[in-house]
Amino acid sequence: MSRDELNIKDNTSLFKEERYVQQRENKKQFEAPCSEKETAEALAYSKSAEYMEKNFSRQNVVINPHKACQPLGSVMAALGFEKTLPFVHGSQGCNAYFRSHLSRHFKEPTPSVSTSMTEDAAVFGGMNNLIDGLENSVALYKPEMVAICTTCMAEVIGDDLNSFIGNARIKGVISEEYPVAYCNTPSFVGSHITGYDAMIKGILSYLYTRSGIESKPGSGAESGEKLNVMLGFEPYTGNFAELRKILGAFDTKYTLLGDHSGNYDSPATGEYEYYYGGTKLADVPQAANALATLSLQKYTLKKTQEYISGTWNQQLAALSTPLGIKGTDTLLATISELTGLPIPAVLTEERGRVVDALMDSHPYLHGKRVALVGDPDLLIGLIGFCLETGMEPVHIICSNGDVDFNEVKFKDEAEALLAASPYGTEATVHVGKDLWHMRSLLLNDKVDLAIGSSHLKFAAKDAEVPLVRVGFPIFDRHHMHRYPIIGYQGTLNLLSLIVNTILQQLDDHNSGFNFELVR
Amino acid sequence: MDPLRQDEFDSQACGSMAPKAKPCPRPKPGEAAGGCSFDGAQITLLPIMDAAHLVHGPIACAGNSWESRGALSSGPSLSQYGFATDLTDSDIIFGGEKKLKDSIDYIAGRFAPPAIFVYSTCVTALIGEDMDAVCKEAADRIGIPVIPVNSPGFVGSKNLGNRLAGDALLQYVIGTGEPEPETDLGVNLIGEYNIAGEMWDIEKLMNSAGIAVTSRITGDARYKEITWAHRARVNMVVCSRALLGLAKEMESRYGIPYFEGSFYGAKETTYSLRQMAYLMNDREMERRVDRLTEREEARLSQELRPYRKLLRGKRAVLYTGGVKSWSVISALKELGVQVVGVGTNKSTEDDVRRIADRVGDDTEYIPEGGASRIIKTVRERKADIMIAGGRNMYVAMKEQIPFIDINQERHKAYAGYEGLLRLAKELTYSLANPIWKLAASPAPWDKEAPPYDR
Ligand code: SF4
Repeated sequence: MSRDELNIKDNTSLFKEERYVQQRENKKQFEAPCSEKETAEALAYSKSAEYMEKNFSRQNVVINPHKACQPLGSVMAALGFEKTLPFVHGSQGCNAYFRSHLSRHFKEPTPSVSTSMTEDAAVFGGMNNLIDGLENSVALYKPEMVAICTTCMAEVIGDDLNSFIGNARIKGVISEEYPVAYCNTPSFVGSHITGYDAMIKGILSYLYTRSGIESKPGSGAESGEKLNVMLGFEPYTGNFAELRKILGAFDTKYTLLGDHSGNYDSPATGEYEYYYGGTKLADVPQAANALATLSLQKYTLKKTQEYISGTWNQQLAALSTPLGIKGTDTLLATISELTGLPIPAVLTEERGRVVDALMDSHPYLHGKRVALVGDPDLLIGLIGFCLETGMEPVHIICSNGDVDFNEVKFKDEAEALLAASPYGTEATVHVGKDLWHMRSLLLNDKVDLAIGSSHLKFAAKDAEVPLVRVGFPIFDRHHMHRYPIIGYQGTLNLLSLIVNTILQQLDDHNSGFNFELVR
Repeated sequence: MDPLRQDEFDSQACGSMAPKAKPCPRPKPGEAAGGCSFDGAQITLLPIMDAAHLVHGPIACAGNSWESRGALSSGPSLSQYGFATDLTDSDIIFGGEKKLKDSIDYIAGRFAPPAIFVYSTCVTALIGEDMDAVCKEAADRIGIPVIPVNSPGFVGSKNLGNRLAGDALLQYVIGTGEPEPETDLGVNLIGEYNIAGEMWDIEKLMNSAGIAVTSRITGDARYKEITWAHRARVNMVVCSRALLGLAKEMESRYGIPYFEGSFYGAKETTYSLRQMAYLMNDREMERRVDRLTEREEARLSQELRPYRKLLRGKRAVLYTGGVKSWSVISALKELGVQVVGVGTNKSTEDDVRRIADRVGDDTEYIPEGGASRIIKTVRERKADIMIAGGRNMYVAMKEQIPFIDINQERHKAYAGYEGLLRLAKELTYSLANPIWKLAASPAPWDKEAPPYDR
């Protein structure tokens, strides 16, 4: 049946009908609401500079957070490995949240289980839950590896994963050889990015140690010339594809350490499998012999980087998310340096095309004031991109900074980057602030454009600023994560997204003499 | 269905049994189970739209859950805000009570809500925070109710959380206020959360039969109206056994009769409306309800005719949170859709009995086991469509099974007569989409014979 015949209304259109509007009006008598004047005054006050000051002196409550907790990151990390089942040790709710959170972003199922700890576990410890959980989940989901992370509950009662897993082996629930990696990820520390890091490090070190291999970087028949590449907490499956394209153009051999793109971008075949793709478990110990490691989220992957350069003795290059022309240039230069291979002509050509596109669009971007929200590495990339297009970052919020990377902290790096450009002079970087702070900023010091996750949409709407959705999570738009935003191609995507949002805004707000055809 | 007389009523399924101490099955380790009690408590209370909801714990619980439910508001939006104390490691060691107190003060000062609900989480419960004391002290100091909701995730399932939220309402809210003198008293709707605006359809229907809604517990509710819920004349528990205890307690405390009902399907809707009028003991109202339901049913069956033709004999697998299952089955049956598999993992024994009353003998019960188990049933029973919630949606897509979202994230209202019509349309729509054919046929070059030969 066609749409006309069916005419199904969803809640956006249905409840605009007169009869419902009337009903809501009638209801007001039961509400004992404030007068309209009071409401308007309160709203106006919340937009004032005076309130902003109060808001920024707020110490103890977070309003509209822009971060998720550590184990959520761990679940994503675990899904980056072949046939690996993420296993959350704690009470069951957290796991349900992680699964919906990730599924809502990627529009794909998220296989992940929990030990469903309850009160008795809180008193006696969660060992039995963990052992039963391992037995059940291995039987049900047939993983080739289980990757366990803790939640705050398990951490508070002080469960010892290592000995629990050992006991599970003694009890014969899993065999001695069955791989079980783990990490500790209390949610009262860090955020989803530190949790991601912890699990990646957990898996790499576990698989490496048990293999008995001794790392000799640049050696070994298969792995000696390979490059290890890590994308980090990567909400874009498209970025994996783009990176593969770039590495393919270099014609270098490589191993992606932590590749969840298969799980989150699997084809429709009519049959659901629990596990799609991922880094092969056997490739992990071999990665210790690789030529070098390239990390594309240096703040996120801090501990993993330390581990790799320390234990694997490997040369390590750590960049932030390579956005924009300069960001990509650095990426290519780094690959070339690490591998000794020349930069491929196809990429130079692609660069030229994207620079051309940037030139075409620059009049609409120049001087546009933007607000940015995101994780540290994404923000470094975004700031760089904005500055090279002549956009002016004004408000920058990073809820889960400040992660330091060796001596440099995110805030320092961001500020240095901004200070180096005439377009960065107006910017302020706020670390540890939330989206309610951002709302004050947007209302008090208006910008032309906000860039951030879906969660930013409430503040952006209040401030009547168009929002370009970049980062994690994006719940209210489809397929954004399928398009890369890194590399030259990604730069083009980002550019189109931004410039076309601005053009749409122009059309929406013009209907008179300047409602033009050509822009 | 005739309304039940009071004596029969007591002996029947409709709420005569107080919920058992542990009405909800325990989650099993190692499975991809549903939400926790904290989640359940939030679900029940978040639709109190003008109140502030503060999560006391580390970022996990709030950071992963704020503003992700489809309970709609017709006005205030404070409930949308994600307030959290965001405890960090030093708070865990030294205690988060000071932070909680300051957070409450800040919210009271800046947002002036009529009440603040404070939710405990696994962590705050484990480190032994005296949340009740902090809330009480704060309430005395700032002069607005500050309500502790003691439902940390580890105590059990989502359903248990619903119940604990009901307990909090009983203990701290219901009976603390009085309706304005001119308020028309009627029915409390308990356990209807206005997902996709369903509450509004129900209210419209009740109003046209002349039945007033006294308190919404809690779909699109205002704090104040819940304080006077004890003045209602009837309680209706809307397909949610978890809140039965609330109704039961209100009966013994305030003498308010209650019944369990649903608005999914014409029959259940009619039954519910009639039961309301009957329990109000108002002949005139009963007559009005009869006229309304007759008219609506007639009109509906007229309008449903074309869809019934298309839907007759279609087979569905239903996998909801359990509480909704039995009522949705009725709705589907009226459309001629056969339920060949139904999830019961969160259902109580009573729910299962109700399901059994409504399905045929060859329906498969899916107790637990997550996605693979559901899919197996779909395949084995040759189901045409799957009706479930968001977490299972993408699995259905992977398996190329037509799907309807029946849980919190849906955007279509399926309650009442109009809702049933919408459900019929949506089913038709979903089954007929060309994408299923496209998805089911391989790429042309992968076929053994060209398509026109098939
Ligand atoms: S299980 Fe505990 S920590 Fe997890 S979301 Fe629920 S209350 Fe929060």
